Amino acid sequence: MKISIDNKSVEVSRQMTVLEAADQNGIYIPRLCAHPELIPYGGCRLCIVEIEGIKGYPTACTAMVEDGMIIRTNTNMLQQMRRDLLQLILSEHPAACLLCDNIEGCSMFQETIRKVGVTTGCRWCPKDKDCELQRIVESFDVHELSLPGLYRDLPVEKYDPFFDRDYNLCIYCGRCVRICNEYRKSSVIAFRQRGKFTTIGPSFDENHIDAGCEFCGACVSVCPTGAMSEKSRKWWGLPDTYTKSVCPLCSINCDIQVLSLRDKIVGTLPPGKPHEAAGELCVKGRFCLSEMVNRTKRILEPSYLFPEGEGIIGWKEAFKRGAELIKDAGKGKTALYISPYLSMEEYSAIAYFARSVLKSSFVTSSCLDYNNTEYLRLSLRSIPLDKVRKSTSIISLFLNGNYNYAPLTMAVKNAASSGIPYYQIGWIRDSTSRFATNSIVPEPGDQVRILDDLIESIKGKSTHDPVIHQLAEHLKNEENALIVIGPSLISLSGMQQVLDRINVIIDLTRSKIYAPNPYGNIKGMLSANEMKPVEIITEKVEKGDIALVYLIGDMPFSERSTDYKLIYQSAFPAPENLRPDLVLPSAVWGEFQGTWPGMKGSTARARKAAKPHDYAKLNIDIINSMSAYAGKKGVLESMSKKNRKITGKFIPHLPVRESALENEEKLNGMEKLPFILISERSPHTYMNLQLDRAVEGLNELISPCYLLINHSDARKLGISGGEYVTIADSEYELTRPVKIRKNIPAGVIYITDNKSVIGFKSNPCYVNLSREHV
Amino acid sequence: MKPKKLSFLEILDSYSAEESSLIPLLQDAQDEDGYISPEKVEGIAQHLKITESQVYGVASFYSQFRFTPPGRHSISVCLGTACHVSGGETLLNTFERDLEISPGECTPDGRFDLNRVACLGCCALAPVVKIDDDIYSKVNVIKLNDIIGLYE
Repeated sequence: MKISIDNKSVEVSRQMTVLEAADQNGIYIPRLCAHPELIPYGGCRLCIVEIEGIKGYPTACTAMVEDGMIIRTNTNMLQQMRRDLLQLILSEHPAACLLCDNIEGCSMFQETIRKVGVTTGCRWCPKDKDCELQRIVESFDVHELSLPGLYRDLPVEKYDPFFDRDYNLCIYCGRCVRICNEYRKSSVIAFRQRGKFTTIGPSFDENHIDAGCEFCGACVSVCPTGAMSEKSRKWWGLPDTYTKSVCPLCSINCDIQVLSLRDKIVGTLPPGKPHEAAGELCVKGRFCLSEMVNRTKRILEPSYLFPEGEGIIGWKEAFKRGAELIKDAGKGKTALYISPYLSMEEYSAIAYFARSVLKSSFVTSSCLDYNNTEYLRLSLRSIPLDKVRKSTSIISLFLNGNYNYAPLTMAVKNAASSGIPYYQIGWIRDSTSRFATNSIVPEPGDQVRILDDLIESIKGKSTHDPVIHQLAEHLKNEENALIVIGPSLISLSGMQQVLDRINVIIDLTRSKIYAPNPYGNIKGMLSANEMKPVEIITEKVEKGDIALVYLIGDMPFSERSTDYKLIYQSAFPAPENLRPDLVLPSAVWGEFQGTWPGMKGSTARARKAAKPHDYAKLNIDIINSMSAYAGKKGVLESMSKKNRKITGKFIPHLPVRESALENEEKLNGMEKLPFILISERSPHTYMNLQLDRAVEGLNELISPCYLLINHSDARKLGISGGEYVTIADSEYELTRPVKIRKNIPAGVIYITDNKSVIGFKSNPCYVNLSREHV
Repeated sequence: MKPKKLSFLEILDSYSAEESSLIPLLQDAQDEDGYISPEKVEGIAQHLKITESQVYGVASFYSQFRFTPPGRHSISVCLGTACHVSGGETLLNTFERDLEISPGECTPDGRFDLNRVACLGCCALAPVVKIDDDIYSKVNVIKLNDIIGLYE
């Protein structure tokens, strides 16, 4: 197609809007509501153009190009109209940042409007200098308001975690509503009421948590004004560096970009243009990483436990004492625990260190317990993530994707909303539940029976349950049926039996599997190191066979049972009663470059975004120097140039156990009580840091110490949030405060702290719920 | 004979789970007891497989839907052109002050709810106030008290 834009003859290959055609050819048309990921909306009207033969001024974002079209984007008339449109927008948008008399001198002299001698300037819009509206107004040279202003005087919404909302600055471009609805498929916010009373938000006066918000931050990213702002970097101003990186927090290893300012990490965003990319991140990748790196409770200096108490020492001293401890322990007497969140480079250095310096084969990680290893075995059979969308039917088992695995839940939501049948089996309602054709909430203990029924049905036996029958038909007849498995399976009773059944189903059918893993680089850890099951090593430690325990970012126990020496290398402090002999502060993600293999199939490089915190050193450097002090060649010299570049396939060696640990658990015959209690091991960790306790916002979302119950249950029992309740079965009881959450189904009690519910017979199990009477 | 009033759950079941059912469903749900409660929004959202925000977004757009229980008597103040110029706004303000509620709300004793309407179609009688099904024409502020006294 040939068209003409501003007298420039242009070839257009396919159907597209006038705005896209102009963008492709480097002709800029101002816009505030158009967004490349979104269906054209025509709301702000700034992109009006003149098209010959078409009456009036169509908006470029909604007009489709036609052969021979003659378009003008920049006539005097259009510019004047745009200026008038901006006047209309500014009449409801506080515009002191644009129209202040002192705007020019302000940045130089930082004048103040207060009657005191402070020079602060006025900073009341968090998006100052980063605002699309500001940029457009400046380019149009609008310097005064011709219309009376209206301030809506809406209260600033600060009660939700991670971002604040000041709808007084909102221009109703609808990008946030549309990105949530069209792109993320969450539809948490909508336009409410109409005309000048319009507001944006969830239904009634609900908060975002209850409305099902995943806190992905897409709305914050695409907002063209300061209406939405991240709490953690609200007043930081523009970052000065954008670094390509990889999120280390789960096995999906999403690509991200790290924002830093004066060598300090201030935030993270999905890759792409900062204001455009809505991305596929979850709350952890979008908001928690920077808070984790900047956590105030980080280890700042190396320290040593002298007989008279703990004392800060210098690095040289630390290496010397470390080397002594290693030498004293002797060959085969050292146990090394490593974290599953490190980079490939660190793992290869650690492998050399264990082999040549520690001379120990007792290498393990606290995540290598029986259930995790078996789950990982299944997880390694996962198909690449981009194939999830090509599935012809999807079944999810125990998936809890509310604040996790966003690329996966987005793929599921997209597939399901395009008409692909989606079935959900489990106790938690997550962001995919709304799209489910059918949901099964099993009775406690039925998690295995359902799969048995399914297997029987696949084998051709008739079943009385129509949903199971449908599932069996999909799995039997389709090439690309997909089973998605959530890691909350790891905490369930009968986990091994469930895994066995899933393996039987995969073998019987041609169905595919996707099982994300909560440990960021467990695959890389196992491919670089020969590792032992954690319980074998811990048993040795407890028996006193080990003289030195070396922890690298891992925390297998919270106190010391026997008399061994302990070297603790991590970024975050150890529990108080552990009292390590030597503490070595290490750098965290973002402070070094490294490789992550990820589940996507390709390796990803994370670049360095900031210098290590205080006196912290990179794990590689610590190991390198420690080796040198122990009289060995440094790790770095031992790795040839070729070795240092980590590429290729990563084949994990799973730790070998001599016998299966678990017998068939008996799951049936439980006494039926009114509520189902389900607990989950927190999947939100990084090194030895529990993110849901360390990051305030995530703590609010996950509420690890609370019992989460459904609002209708709470209403029925007259319980309000924060009140203490007691849950009990015939043998055990537990008293905890409650939080009321809509994403918990009625009749279910959920807790992300499976240590405290260990006394209950099984997970999930039946319980009674009663108010604690004071 | 009047057909039996359906319960909310029966109303839900009578509609297919399509987005196009939303507005008729909201209308029927409101007919049941005069307003749309958060529980109804939740029920409708689950039935249609959309979010509560979407249901509420649509419902709050239309002035025909209300989200608070109606009073025993419903006051509508006309603010159409004719009524507006002859003092409809003043009448509305007086009601707001006397009853201590804003349009769309209901008095705490449940006696009256207050609404504004665009036109009642009897502009010759402006300004007009409608209480339940009774039309009061050429109303002024002095008359209001007597009118309210007629309703308990």
